[in-house]
Amino acid sequence: MSILDIDERLFTLLDKVEFDRSPITDIKEVGECDVGIIEGGLCNAENVEVLREFRRRCKVLVALGACAINGGLPAQRNHLSLPLLLQEVYRSEPGAEYGLIPNDPELPLPLNKVHPLHEVVRIDHFIPGCPPSADAIWQVLTGLLEGREHPLDHSLIHFD
Amino acid sequence: MTYGLETAEHPEQLRRVAIDPVSRVEGHGKVTILLDDDDKVRQVRLHVVEFRGFERFIQGRPYWEVPVMVQRLCGICPVSHHLAASKAMDAIVGTKRLTPTAEKVRRLMHYGQILQSHALHFFHLCSPDLLFGFASEVAKRNIVGVAAAHPETARRGVLLRRFGQEVIRVTAGKRIHGTGSIPGGVNKSVTREERDVLLADIYDMVAWSRDAVALVKQLHGQDPALYNSFGVFRSGMMSLVAPDGALDFYDGSLRARDESGAILFDHVNYREYASYIREEVKPWSYMKFPFLSSLGAEKGWYKVGPLARVQNCDHIASPLADAERREFVDYAGGSPIHAPLAYHWTRMIEMLHAAETIKDLLHDDDIMGDDLVSTGEHAREGIGVIEAPRGTLIHHYRVNDDDLVTMCNLIVSTTHNNQAMNEAIRHVAKRYLSGHRLTEGLLNHIEVAIRAFDPCLSCATHALGQMALELTLVGADGVELDQLARHGDGTVSRSPP
Amino acid sequence: MSATFLLDGRAIPFSEGQTILQAAVAAGAYIPHLCFHPDFKPHGSCKVCTVKVGGRQSASCTTAAAAGAVVESDTPAINAERLALVQMLFVEGNHFCPSCEKSGDCKLQATACDLGMVSPHFDHFFPDRPVDASHPDLLLDFNRCILCSLCVRASRDVDGKNAFALAGRGLRTRLIVNSRTGRLVDSDVSAGDRAVHVCPVGVILPKRRGFSVPLGRRVFDLKPISAVADASAQIEER
Repeated sequence: MSILDIDERLFTLLDKVEFDRSPITDIKEVGECDVGIIEGGLCNAENVEVLREFRRRCKVLVALGACAINGGLPAQRNHLSLPLLLQEVYRSEPGAEYGLIPNDPELPLPLNKVHPLHEVVRIDHFIPGCPPSADAIWQVLTGLLEGREHPLDHSLIHFD
Repeated sequence: MTYGLETAEHPEQLRRVAIDPVSRVEGHGKVTILLDDDDKVRQVRLHVVEFRGFERFIQGRPYWEVPVMVQRLCGICPVSHHLAASKAMDAIVGTKRLTPTAEKVRRLMHYGQILQSHALHFFHLCSPDLLFGFASEVAKRNIVGVAAAHPETARRGVLLRRFGQEVIRVTAGKRIHGTGSIPGGVNKSVTREERDVLLADIYDMVAWSRDAVALVKQLHGQDPALYNSFGVFRSGMMSLVAPDGALDFYDGSLRARDESGAILFDHVNYREYASYIREEVKPWSYMKFPFLSSLGAEKGWYKVGPLARVQNCDHIASPLADAERREFVDYAGGSPIHAPLAYHWTRMIEMLHAAETIKDLLHDDDIMGDDLVSTGEHAREGIGVIEAPRGTLIHHYRVNDDDLVTMCNLIVSTTHNNQAMNEAIRHVAKRYLSGHRLTEGLLNHIEVAIRAFDPCLSCATHALGQMALELTLVGADGVELDQLARHGDGTVSRSPP
Repeated sequence: MSATFLLDGRAIPFSEGQTILQAAVAAGAYIPHLCFHPDFKPHGSCKVCTVKVGGRQSASCTTAAAAGAVVESDTPAINAERLALVQMLFVEGNHFCPSCEKSGDCKLQATACDLGMVSPHFDHFFPDRPVDASHPDLLLDFNRCILCSLCVRASRDVDGKNAFALAGRGLRTRLIVNSRTGRLVDSDVSAGDRAVHVCPVGVILPKRRGFSVPLGRRVFDLKPISAVADASAQIEER
């Protein structure tokens, strides 16, 4: 959602999109490559599946934001054991009734540790920041559209 | 009551339909529907599939880090977490009363957030359903389609959100995940230049917010049968109210009403929340199910957010929004409105109130003061409650003698609405899905009901643009009967076996 | 101060006994560095200040300046090596910048940004390192330690307390507190000590003050570290 911070530049993007009929296909055709942008780290088995599918489908994959790049806030659980964590959140908290831990097959299994994307698939571009500034996102997007080699200036690199 | 649709008796004999993921909402969730041989809906569930564990891993961290860290739970309304945690930490550092500058800068930040979040939700996420129809062409049913068909509406939506984000930037230091609010106060006030820039645009924002309310009323008026009945269920509602009963997003005490609008409790100090609210865990969702402990899990669940707040309060302190509130309340002759689609109407009334309040605060010189922090005798426990865009948000912490957090309990806004959203989609599934063959438009009806609540289901793996969506119908013998796929480019295909 | 050497083509004056980095810092020239501080005896451990002199790479903080020497520092090859070193520091500890109160005032973060680091590249270790909050005025967050030993040197050489030490070898090297219990409260460290102010990252922090400086007014908010001449001193004032 942080991409919406490009504000009315969104319409500039959509102009190009309309020209080529849809946002994603437009970007793909202008850069002659498929661009996938992924936010968020890998927290459960389903996240890994979705990421691998993106990697197969997209020619260029961009990791956007701290969670995607280094695990971010969810990775702050990584030094703790998962069973202990589930126990704490669902059974020991004030006000929690019928202490049980959600275990339905419909729920994807959480990973023992939260992983950044690049530990699982190849990532072509990274936009750091929590979240990255709109200018950083804009520069990478336009950079990819124009086929620039290094789409992010050092001055737009922030980690917080 | 459709509580029965929560769990079917012999799920192994039923066909499963899944909407995975739910799109045009923040975060990750999916819906599963089980049907019997006669295509009757037997079970419907909204599953929240993300698990974070923040409550545990914040333990052992210093308390002053919490307001900055906890907001990372969310990218849409981080200010809510920032401020709820700050309010809890005010108690830890012994703040009896914020300085006028601190309180007003925080309020400005919060109302800026209400404005941007409500604008985002209505214009960017939901307006395509309402403007084009729930079953309209999927390729157009997004902000791109709105920008093409209603350019001025789309432009105003984007600029309203931008303004709200700028208010946040000025008060918090940056648009998303700032550091402006600290235990006991704020770390900056507003400069005259910053204020003047915002003042130049605020009158447009008030006018456009008023137009947005008119737009929703117009939509409502075009098809009242649909808007008044879609996904309707009855439930109680809860929110904070100001001491004089006014709508207040930043502070107040808890008030709850039952489904007929009668007061269940009023002016409850939110520090007592644990005596009034308990949470149930169900095996099929990582999101808990809160309920009013006096009524029990089965009857005690309730709604929060705009629809609850606008009906729960006695009045709104800003004139334009209050006139709209009265018109809304009169619409049903004074009895409570439970229609999920009325969330949009009330959400826009709140956006108007936020714009009016920002206007008043910008005219108050206290926001430019330099008395930023007040502290007193430290305490070991702090509870902060705020009305986030999506509803009541509760933060509760305990801190040890070494200043480290030892306990944290959060009840976030969307969690309060967990049961309500499940009820809404059960009604929609029963009414629109039962006995019918799958269509993409039908599938979207379920999502329209979820979107009305503006859920924030946590953030995980997101894509730019529209996500692919797949719907699979599997027979009791495990054989795939029907498959419907919505692709990344908006096209839909059916692949019958 | 008549003798000079050439740093990336720029003449840097030096006096007898100065190292390349000491002379460069004194002249306002930037060579990336983390474990070096102009007030303390060079340690030569982080290697981020590595330069090429006479065809050989060496740590500029411990290499004596020599008249007429040709020193290469800001080259793509050397910066790539520096970047790898910094990335290894990031994955070795728990550097979660978004909620760290040292963000914007942190040399590790600023150096990484200046070197163009956009990802940690390597796999994270995610170590378990509890904080030491026992002291009434100070917090030790070992998650962020880069083993620069500046606190060790400052406590030993300036405060005369020997409160900190690096223990262990290789991958198991860690910062410890020299006290009976190993806890900071049982050492003689106090909030006024030089040792508690020199930390270039967010390990040694004053309690109950985090985030009091708004965004935009932090040391590296407006200028990259390469353009902040007295970065070490400015951070210490915070």
